[in-house]
Amino acid sequence: MQTKIKEYRAKLNLTQDQLANLVNVRRETIVFLEQGKYNPSLKLAHDVANTLKTSIDNLFIFDK
Amino acid sequence: MTLKKYQQIKLVIIVIISIIFSQAIIYQNYLIPLITLIISSLGLIWLRRQVKEVVADERDYSNAGKSASLAIQIYSWITVVAMFVLYSFKDLNPSYEPIAMTLAYSTCLLMVIYSFIYKFQNKIKFTPSKNKFLFIIVVLSIIFGVFTLRLFSGEDNWVCQNGQWVKHGAPSFDAPKSICK
Repeated sequence: MQTKIKEYRAKLNLTQDQLANLVNVRRETIVFLEQGKYNPSLKLAHDVANTLKTSIDNLFIFDK
Repeated sequence: MTLKKYQQIKLVIIVIISIIFSQAIIYQNYLIPLITLIISSLGLIWLRRQVKEVVADERDYSNAGKSASLAIQIYSWITVVAMFVLYSFKDLNPSYEPIAMTLAYSTCLLMVIYSFIYKFQNKIKFTPSKNKFLFIIVVLSIIFGVFTLRLFSGEDNWVCQNGQWVKHGAPSFDAPKSICK
């Protein structure tokens, strides 16, 4: 799985800490998400996409 | 309070508890560790509420679930093997039998608790009959608790009286070979 969280986060000038606080997770979870090493729950994916003002489809790319 | 500060204090408290426990075992005082455990648990709950950051999130809970499952499997295998080894050597030393039994029952208890919690988390907590399930669990726990107390109460054991080992109840093993003082 690949994500564009870092890209969208940079557009909104948000740090990993700030994004983590906005979606109620720990900073490490954002780090793992950005590296594609953690599959988030649907709720977290939705919250992150909402916070970064995009859709889940744009944010998460699954390898076929 | 920051999460880092909370974790540091938690570590210090755990170290203090360990020291108190080890000293209590040496001096055979069981009241002090109990009081320490209650006070430190309440203290940790209070401290956790002071932390404004997220202490644990879904990734932590997911990892905790996987770790718990693996830990239960490893513990069960170790105790089952240890139990069979100790039980097969019970003729060499009668004290091996109660140890083997303790291991066997602790494994059974762990499995039972795990099964109930899993069933509750998996299905029952979403149904209206969850209170009925919890009531059954409480009743079963009381029955199991009474049974365990009876089993480990020392009713059927060897007691040291006037320099001699005397039967108390009907112990299933021979008198200890150690000197009775």
